[in-house]
Amino acid sequence: MHFSIIPIPSIVLLATTVICSSLTITIPPSNLLPNPNVLPAGTHATLTSLPSSSSSSQDQTTRNALFNAPLTCSATFVFRNLQPSAPTQPASYLLDIRSAEYVFAPYRVDVAADGKVLGAWETFRGNPWDNRGAEKFNAVDAAAREDATVEAKLLAKRGFYEQRSSFSPLSLVKNPMILLALVALGFMFGMPKLMENMDPEMRAEFEKHSRSSPITGGARSAMSGGGGGGGPGNFDLAGWMAGTAPGPMASAEAAAQGAATGRESGVARRRG
Amino acid sequence: MRLQAALSLLALCVPSTLAIYADEVNHIDFHHALLGLPSSQSTFFLKPSSASNASLLYTLSEKSILGAINPRDGSLVWRQNVSRSLLPDSAAAGGGLLRASDGINAVVSATGDYISSWNALDGKLIWENWFTSEGSVADLELLELEDASAAGTFRDTIALVNAGEAGVVKRIDGQTGDVKWEYKDESGDVPFQVSSSPTEVFYISLQSALLKGSKIKATSLDSVTGKQTYQQTLNSENDVTGPDSIVFVGANTAAPIIVWVDKARKVLKVNVIGTKQVSTINIDNKGEEIKNIKVHAPKKLNSLPHFLVGYETESSSWAEVYHTDMKLGTVTKAYDIPRVQERSVFATSNKDANVYFTRNTESETTVVSSASHGVLGRWALKNPSTEQALHAVSEVVDKGDTVAVRSASLLASGDWQLIRNGQAEWTRHEGLSRASAAAWAETDEQEELAHQLEVEGHESLHGAYVHRVKRHIKDLEYLPEWLKELPKRILTSILTDEVSNLDSFGISKPIIIATENGRVFALDSGNHGAVSWSVKAAETDAWNVKAIITQPGTATVYADDGSSVTLKVSSGEIVGRTAPSSKVHSIAVINNGASIPVSIRENGTPMETINGSGFLVTLSADGKVLGWSAQDNKTPVWEFIPARGQKIIRATSRPTHDPVASIGKVLGDRSVLYKYLNPNLALITAVGDNSASFYLLDAVSGTVLHSSIQENVDTSQPIASTISENWFAYSFFGDSTDASEAKGHQLVISELYESFIPNDRGPLNSATNYSTLHDVDAPAPPHVIAQSFVIPEPISHMAVTQTRQGITTRQLLCTLPSSNSIIGIPRQILDPRRPVNRDPSSTEAEEGLFKYNPFLEFDGRWFLTHSRDVAGINNVLVKDTLLESTGLVIAFGGDVYGTRVMPSQAFDVLGKGFSKIQLVLTVVALGIGVTVLAPIVRKKQINTIWKTGS
Repeated sequence: MHFSIIPIPSIVLLATTVICSSLTITIPPSNLLPNPNVLPAGTHATLTSLPSSSSSSQDQTTRNALFNAPLTCSATFVFRNLQPSAPTQPASYLLDIRSAEYVFAPYRVDVAADGKVLGAWETFRGNPWDNRGAEKFNAVDAAAREDATVEAKLLAKRGFYEQRSSFSPLSLVKNPMILLALVALGFMFGMPKLMENMDPEMRAEFEKHSRSSPITGGARSAMSGGGGGGGPGNFDLAGWMAGTAPGPMASAEAAAQGAATGRESGVARRRG
Repeated sequence: MRLQAALSLLALCVPSTLAIYADEVNHIDFHHALLGLPSSQSTFFLKPSSASNASLLYTLSEKSILGAINPRDGSLVWRQNVSRSLLPDSAAAGGGLLRASDGINAVVSATGDYISSWNALDGKLIWENWFTSEGSVADLELLELEDASAAGTFRDTIALVNAGEAGVVKRIDGQTGDVKWEYKDESGDVPFQVSSSPTEVFYISLQSALLKGSKIKATSLDSVTGKQTYQQTLNSENDVTGPDSIVFVGANTAAPIIVWVDKARKVLKVNVIGTKQVSTINIDNKGEEIKNIKVHAPKKLNSLPHFLVGYETESSSWAEVYHTDMKLGTVTKAYDIPRVQERSVFATSNKDANVYFTRNTESETTVVSSASHGVLGRWALKNPSTEQALHAVSEVVDKGDTVAVRSASLLASGDWQLIRNGQAEWTRHEGLSRASAAAWAETDEQEELAHQLEVEGHESLHGAYVHRVKRHIKDLEYLPEWLKELPKRILTSILTDEVSNLDSFGISKPIIIATENGRVFALDSGNHGAVSWSVKAAETDAWNVKAIITQPGTATVYADDGSSVTLKVSSGEIVGRTAPSSKVHSIAVINNGASIPVSIRENGTPMETINGSGFLVTLSADGKVLGWSAQDNKTPVWEFIPARGQKIIRATSRPTHDPVASIGKVLGDRSVLYKYLNPNLALITAVGDNSASFYLLDAVSGTVLHSSIQENVDTSQPIASTISENWFAYSFFGDSTDASEAKGHQLVISELYESFIPNDRGPLNSATNYSTLHDVDAPAPPHVIAQSFVIPEPISHMAVTQTRQGITTRQLLCTLPSSNSIIGIPRQILDPRRPVNRDPSSTEAEEGLFKYNPFLEFDGRWFLTHSRDVAGINNVLVKDTLLESTGLVIAFGGDVYGTRVMPSQAFDVLGKGFSKIQLVLTVVALGIGVTVLAPIVRKKQINTIWKTGS
């Protein structure tokens, strides 16, 4: 046996199936899909329309196989032979690109009786069929070309997963309850320090103030653990309900009086 | 009831975002991505890239699915369904063919008249072609060129098309799929195979001899032009009676061979294709009848011209290795591979020019080099399988003086197993791909408790109390064990996820699956769908299972020949069988406490009668719906025949477990629309010429309660339907008659109410009893509200989620065949009362209604299968669990997929988002805070007392 390769200049090309017209759908790179080659191998495109009533089940398998194009290596879909079987009549197909993760715009593809693509338009689901959108291919413009090429339009990317809120210390700090607690804690520790650093005169005045003011007095008494002090801080609920102790308003009134005197004294000081 | 109301309120409060969390993948769901049983001729290891040494395992399965498997872990890399032949029933006309070449990133497959080339790494199409006008592809070879480096990245394909009378050999361009040349043989020979050497293409055909048998004719064609160069006819008519007699036609070796055997299996004849010489080998059958002869030869061009002939008898197996002399065209025996008293499966692999033969027996794996008989490696199988291996492929790695081998063998059970150096690495349960029926089962333990509780329920108060105390005392014996487990349980519950702890809530349930090849599998839904056992239940390859009915502890599988097999759920042990009787069309189940199966004949008549109340609705093969009383199987109570020209394709009823939490729907103004709740509803789907009709029947009386007809429906596309509670849904492909209509797949949802007026229960009012048959004022037909949506994809199957009490909102589970997914559409979205063309009023908004949009886009969060590719599903089963929030879903048919659904979120389970560690840490931090602050505060208090006192 001897090996030799005889170069033959003219290789006879034989087309066994008469290719009437083919439709190629390309996927351009977009923001959602920068690299169309990452689409999974299961992605495919389909052309759907109601078959003519006389078609048999044999035609059905033909249709299913022909009008279903798998994804090619160059991220395109090629429908090789669009000629419908026996009773040829023009057809109007719904072109879908099937992918679980990516949502593509549906197209309307009109095919003549001889299998030539007449035109492709964007279409809108749930809208009248003649409500056509942007024209994607027109046979009149591209009369010279045998094969129609249409660019697919990517609409959205489906998100399958729910995002789980992860634990972060920042989110804990943002919690209003925690914030309140922190502020209270700050007061508790910071107040005595502040008081200590105040000059004695100021402190005396402040103490006088806080004694007379019901709110600050209450806060102070709460701060100092509820022991001692005047105002509603040591209001005796049981006693009040039994009628033996004065009501909370009584001490508030007293405090109001105290405040008034305080103001007077302040005025007096300013004068002085 | 109050608890129910509270729970339903709770369920409503929870926002129904439904998507799966990324960390729950593989945790709450499982997926067996299957190919089907790999065929022996079309399975191989292949290095798709010449740059890398990594190889993938490729196969074309008997289901015509082409796929690549990662041999490391058995995971699916990619797959394509190549059953795209235009010839009728081409799948049955013979298996597909798959060819590939090392270092070339392409695999070429042929099924019927369809031939296609796919990128070997990612499974994308390179080219495809149909030879519809000629016939189906009989053989396929990749053309190997002598100078591999010059060939580029594509290999041309040689295809032999069996065009009935003639055989056509074609050379197909490896890049475009166009035909470069073709050679037509019109001599009337039977086209058999093609084989190629670097320069020549051999076309092997069988020429009928004058009297009997056939002569083998080898026609040599020039690989560049396709012109016939010479022809060789071998006088084989005495031995060769048909294609079956030819054992092997060597492919792509430097010296392709053709091997045939005589009828008596006494003599083996070998011819190097292209030469006239025929070598004769006498078979030493050692007194036993030879059952099987197989020839294994390397397929690579530059490998040594050695081949192995494997013999098999009933009890033993052995092999002989031969060397071909390429110059003389003769064949000489090199050595024997010894005979063993068990079955063995041989496989060939090559590394550069060296050829290795791997022998897998039931107990060990051995590797020999083709050059000498020394055993290079021998491994005893660690845990040998009880199933016999049918065929295997192997890959040998040469590590200097030792070798390593991995072989993937298909077992008779349908398991595809990879054994690396004697150790099983992974098992793919490809047998599951032919699942025909499935059912949820209960194990015995759960049954025991239920039984005990039943006993208590039937006893007197005192007796029940004593029984209960006794039971609890008996339970104490498990206490030490439980206590021992406790620390471990607490630890694991803190450290890991909840899944292991939910088993006691019915999350972990066995699934019984019966397949067409007579096997029954049990899957554990709690353990990632692992196969717990698989048994051969019927000796047939076409086991048409009609139903699986489970009783606690056992499952009974009913086949269409009237036979049944009962198996133990826990072990798979067959505990009972009934012999085949007569042909069964379907199996109906009557639920009177226990499930009683009733076989239905082709004409729709039940085979047996049942004592007690009950009624049946059957579908006859000629397209009639019949209603029966359970006691009478002679005459039907009613008969439903659809309109002329219509054919009934499907009948569905409400699920057996379909609890309704609320009998009405509370509207925004606090009035109530009462649901039409009839337990005996049947939804019939009938198709005519380009139309589909849906009839809602009352199954007791046969009255048509509602019907709708859809025109311009593509009846060849899937039409799915389902019914539950007080609503039903169906989907179809609707075309437009005139251009003002929409074209696309549609989903229609209809709700049934007692009356269209709120707070009105119609003529029936609140009567507790009524008769659909005898009353003069039989219930009025329901008020039906329907809305239809355009959906982006076809739906091939519909089901409805189930939960224990029906409080949780339901999801419509739709199988999407075109994007290989399963979605769960929330019922709130599919509310036919959504306001059309206007915004909802404040009361409607309060009900949760929002504006109707004719197009229903499938939200990514509805995808139960998320990013998985779940293909070939033809049935989905649902099951409730003890947790109200959770239902189980299993989908089967091609792949097997199982998951949990929580339509109203996990309102009764602490999910993964609930961090137990965080809780513990918080408590600890608080504790520390208290212990630190307490002395400070105490000191302060004392100080204040002192200060105020002074």
